[in-house]
Amino acid sequence: MKMDTVIIGGGLSGLACGISLAKRGKRVTIVASGQSTMLFNGGSMEMLGYVDGKAVENPLGAIASLPESHPYRKIGADRIASIAERVKLLFSDSGIEMTGSANANHWRITPMGVAKPAWLTLSDHLRIDNLNQLPAKRLALMCIRGYFDQPNAMLAKGLRDLGFEVDMIEFTTDDITALRRSPSEMRATSLAKHLVSNNALQRVADQFNNLAGDADMVLMPSVFGQSDSSDFQLLQSKVNKPLRLVATLPPSVAGMRMMTQLRHYFKMLGGTYLTGDTAVSGTFDGDRLTSVTTAKLADMPLKADDFVLATGSFVSRGLKADFERVYEPVLGVDVDADADPEKWTRFGVLEPQAYFGYGVATDSQLRCLKQGKPIQNLRAIGSVLSGHDAVKMGDGTGVSLLTAIAAADHIREKK
Amino acid sequence: MAERMQTCNLSEHNFEQCTKCSICTTVCPVAAVTTDYPGPKQAGPDGERYRLKDPAYFDKALKLCLNCKRCEVACPSGVHIADIIQHARMRAAEGQRATLRDTMLANTDLLGKMANLVAPVANATLGLSPTKLVMDSVMAIDKHRTFPAYSRQKFTTWFKRHAAKEQDAYAHHVSYFHGCYVNYNFPKLGQDLVKLLNAVGYGVHLLDKEQCCGVALIANGLYKQARRQARVNIDNIRKSVTRDKRVVLTTSSSCTFNMRDEYPSMLDIDNADVHDSISLATRFIYRLVDEEKIKLVFKQDYKRRMAYHTACHMQRMGWQLYSIMLLRMIPGLDLVELEQECCGISGTYGFKKENYERSQAIGSVLFKLIEDAKVEAVTTDCETCKWQIEMSTGLPVENPISVLADALDVEATRRANGIN
Repeated sequence: MKMDTVIIGGGLSGLACGISLAKRGKRVTIVASGQSTMLFNGGSMEMLGYVDGKAVENPLGAIASLPESHPYRKIGADRIASIAERVKLLFSDSGIEMTGSANANHWRITPMGVAKPAWLTLSDHLRIDNLNQLPAKRLALMCIRGYFDQPNAMLAKGLRDLGFEVDMIEFTTDDITALRRSPSEMRATSLAKHLVSNNALQRVADQFNNLAGDADMVLMPSVFGQSDSSDFQLLQSKVNKPLRLVATLPPSVAGMRMMTQLRHYFKMLGGTYLTGDTAVSGTFDGDRLTSVTTAKLADMPLKADDFVLATGSFVSRGLKADFERVYEPVLGVDVDADADPEKWTRFGVLEPQAYFGYGVATDSQLRCLKQGKPIQNLRAIGSVLSGHDAVKMGDGTGVSLLTAIAAADHIREKK
Repeated sequence: MAERMQTCNLSEHNFEQCTKCSICTTVCPVAAVTTDYPGPKQAGPDGERYRLKDPAYFDKALKLCLNCKRCEVACPSGVHIADIIQHARMRAAEGQRATLRDTMLANTDLLGKMANLVAPVANATLGLSPTKLVMDSVMAIDKHRTFPAYSRQKFTTWFKRHAAKEQDAYAHHVSYFHGCYVNYNFPKLGQDLVKLLNAVGYGVHLLDKEQCCGVALIANGLYKQARRQARVNIDNIRKSVTRDKRVVLTTSSSCTFNMRDEYPSMLDIDNADVHDSISLATRFIYRLVDEEKIKLVFKQDYKRRMAYHTACHMQRMGWQLYSIMLLRMIPGLDLVELEQECCGISGTYGFKKENYERSQAIGSVLFKLIEDAKVEAVTTDCETCKWQIEMSTGLPVENPISVLADALDVEATRRANGIN
């Protein structure tokens, strides 16, 4: 089977790259093994959150201060500015409403109540542009009875530390109480599946209108809208105060919704998305990759002019480690990592860990290196790349999106 | 030593790889519509930890699992969640007898054989409301269901009378595992396959002997019988592959999945030597076209708008691409690829009175997608999805092979492949 481009990995990065190419008429196949780490996403994208441990105000402006090995430096600050605009377009074209600016970070609120710098946030989620000018004075924090994936006391404390007055209000409805039958599975995503009908939402709205008191904004966990934001809008139309969502512990409804919408848009553009299949190997001819073999289409290698490696980091098995080495398991391309296993980790889970920065080695055009030489038609994007640390720098989703579109540009621009 | 621990310490069904991320639960069609079912994580790896301590921890709610395998497709860690659940059910069912209703539903071939003999009577009787009421109350087969009509003439009878003689004349040969549905209910699908393959120079042959693949037997706990029939099938498939050098094609995604993947994992039947020689016909034909070994020529005046539904087991095999790419070759076919959603029937599951409402609730997402797609017909590789979608949407549903055969310009195709 011959395509223009085959993308290995169906997460945020693979889909962004796939959409970018399919939009320009390329025939693209994405091989996606299982669901992605987007199901851990809280509804925001981050470009650059921290440099040297300090929160970044202007992510675009701060790119110049990054080390040259960082993926953003390979793309270049000027290009990033224009690609960042196209990312916003990509989301709105997919039906995902996000707000934010690449010149000025805003703050998102984690499930634990911590404010973190963000670039784009879903428009129905709480965002704070300026910590000295909060969007509301008094919040009614609606706490769902029996729902454990929202640490309410911590969240309330965090919000109070930011300067909000917070009323913690417990509520439930018949629909929600019914779900408590399997308490271990009372998760954000199951709530979202059951709180969809007009009546179910009306019952939630009635509770809010009765209980919210004199708060000027109602805040509730992000448990609405698996496929789009219409459930939230319906609920907002029934609630007489401004309503905002706050991220829950995973699995995340917001992440699931974004993935569904991106996948849907990609398919609408004619893209092929192979769900639940895994790329297992590739065939090289000199400095080119000619085909990729998957587990389920074992006897039919996927041929293409260009390939993109978007397999993610260790958690998504885009990178693997045994007792001797860190390696890239599908194509065996070069990896930037310390040779000495003693250096990979440091005692203390929350300490900065060297392995967070490991990843696939690329040249200035994001082409993968194999035995030190660039593979002409294979590019790496997203979390599989070396040179950045999503935990320490708050740049994970940004690297995924910006390198995805940069790689798509390289593919289109080559002769 | 340490290295061996890392590379060799693999648990059955990748059980130990579960990180408890709950992603499987987000795609479970059963958990989405009922709180009676705790979801695949709890029913699978979590519950298994208890069951390993004491089998008494088996939860009857596991019977609600459809075995659709969507949890396995979604799992980022490669855990065979549905297999864990099926094995737990199998252990719990040891020594227990299946009910008459389940035995009857599971024996699709026996039912077919009997009904074939009296097809007009059976069709009329099974369709009558008094019969349906009796089946509903006595047998607990839901009254909303209509049994698929039985054909007057079995596929095998038609084949022997009208097609068998010509098959040796072709240059290439394949065997066809037709399955119960084609044989007793819908011989046209088998005839369509013969028409299609003959037109590109392939002779079609039956296996020396075939029995029901047993997918419904496994689902209804009749494991011994399933194992017996599986052995017969694999023995005869082996004869075809090794003696006759013919691959074995099917037109049902569930029969295919069952014989390739469930025989070894659920029934301990070793099929390794013939596994790769069992294939869905669309996959086989697509690969021939892709490798430019055959050409398909379609009618100029063919025009239809259809939606492709990926059956759950088709997705588990990862083979929907073959059917879709093949259908996309038809110039006059406007094909809408639906998001993968479970139709809710899951073979015999939806026929049972206690499952009917749940089955329809599960399918409602898909029915809405089909309605929104504004198509004149639906195409899918699974026959039970076909019954469910036809009953629930009123639209006709066809196997991709039938769509291809319908759109094919037979004479032009024969000429293009150099066949007289």
